[in-house]
Amino acid sequence: MSEQPTLEINALSAGYGRFDVVRDVALSVGKGEAVALLGPNGAGKTTVLRAIMGLVKQRRGLIRIGGTDVSALPTHRIARGLAAIAPEGRRLFLDQSVEDNLLLGALHLRHDKARTQTLLASVYDLFPVLKAYRQRLSSFLSGGEQQMVAIGRMLMSDPEIMLLDEPSVALSPVAVDIVVRAMLELRKRGASLLLVEQRTDVATRVCDRLYVMTHGEIVDEMKPETIRSGGMSILNKYLG
Amino acid sequence: MLQFVLSGVAIGSIYGLIGMALAISFYVTRIINFAQGQLMMVTVMVTAELASSGYPVWLAALAGLACSCIVGILSYVIAVRPILLSNRFSFGWLVSTLGFAVIVENAAAYIWGPTSQAFPPILNGISLPIGGAVLTAQQLLAIVTAAVLAAGFEIVRRYTLFGKLGMATAADPEMASAIGANTAIVAIVAFAVSAVYAGIAGLLIGPSTFANPYLGDTFGTYGFIAMMIGGGTERPIAAMFGGLLLGVCAEGANALINSQASDWFPFIVLVLILIVSPKGLFSTSNPLFRPRRAAVTRG
Repeated sequence: MSEQPTLEINALSAGYGRFDVVRDVALSVGKGEAVALLGPNGAGKTTVLRAIMGLVKQRRGLIRIGGTDVSALPTHRIARGLAAIAPEGRRLFLDQSVEDNLLLGALHLRHDKARTQTLLASVYDLFPVLKAYRQRLSSFLSGGEQQMVAIGRMLMSDPEIMLLDEPSVALSPVAVDIVVRAMLELRKRGASLLLVEQRTDVATRVCDRLYVMTHGEIVDEMKPETIRSGGMSILNKYLG
Repeated sequence: MLQFVLSGVAIGSIYGLIGMALAISFYVTRIINFAQGQLMMVTVMVTAELASSGYPVWLAALAGLACSCIVGILSYVIAVRPILLSNRFSFGWLVSTLGFAVIVENAAAYIWGPTSQAFPPILNGISLPIGGAVLTAQQLLAIVTAAVLAAGFEIVRRYTLFGKLGMATAADPEMASAIGANTAIVAIVAFAVSAVYAGIAGLLIGPSTFANPYLGDTFGTYGFIAMMIGGGTERPIAAMFGGLLLGVCAEGANALINSQASDWFPFIVLVLILIVSPKGLFSTSNPLFRPRRAAVTRG
């Protein structure tokens, strides 16, 4: 390990109420790397992302982003440039316009107008359709367009690590393709991604490494090539 | 006819301001602050006290507003936040904000005594004939102030980043914190603003009611009715419309039925409106206790 990873998680246990949904999770995402968390429903993938954002009440263990220990930081501090999330279900601010949603993503950069404008331009560059719709209420967009806004809002905070929670879910094949290409473009721009997916094809197209999670634990780590050259059967065993 | 409409609009703008105050804190936190009327009373009492000890009225009024602002923030910190922290979906705030109201009210009665005290007249002396009716300058001031505050709130909500952040926090507090918003600060600001709105309502009504520690009960209730019939739980400005309607109803009942009718007639109107339109007249969407988006728990 010559270079410090962008995201480093060690011995993470997290959950709701009295029991832990994830136990003893360790993973890392290097700078400019894209890593996927694969696993069936209820495996705890979303909980890992929520723990990174500080959205889970109980969490123990180490979470480090770019050398900063965030395991005791409140969510709004983590969200100011360390991590950003495009959450499951997108969770846009539906009663506000596309551009307002994006600008809210850059909340912590509000005093840096130039940087905000640059980021906004880069989002419109990534998703030109959003520029045409920028004054439209986000509730009027299609699912794919809403996913673009969610990804754009995540980009707007210019985070060290981007967390994407099932960006392909409930989208048409065309929209999935747009989202995948956007993630590949983000990689070209040097972003570090942690992607939660149920679709192996999406994960293998985008990511360098894949962790497999079941029942709250990471049970395997593989390369996309392994899966393409027949590892699919191993994976299917985990995914049920 | 014109007379009771005009004086109804005047008193209604005050009900509307209190309704908006309730609605502003509800909008962001989904909490009804039952101490809202008492926040108004704090402004009235402090202003009356300072004015009678010889300070200029404007200074007394500012100090009064500052005090209710502080008490408003305290009501959030003491009566609301601990409850939301332990369980965001609980209704413990029903009891805790009511309890806070009782404490503030009795503290005021203890300090100033239970009887009414003089309140400095602001513009009560002047009256303006409009058509066949008469409006005092005080009433006109209430109408204009309410219009300015209602419009001002809408402008801030729609066109400033802070307003948009408030909307975001109202819609999805968890996601708002995930984009870097300190939702506790947003809530505190909302409570402070709502205390100022209630306090201004107090300054406008003070010259007619005088300063009484139990003022908060009546006006808190009317403010609540204004919010409910207007549909202010959805859009704070709708509480203002509700307040105007309530004011006209109450004054109309006094003029057309008998002089006590304003004690019961507005409640009948409230019930009728809620039967016909449970969401409130001026609201587009859901009723009072719209559930918040549940936390995502699957992995």
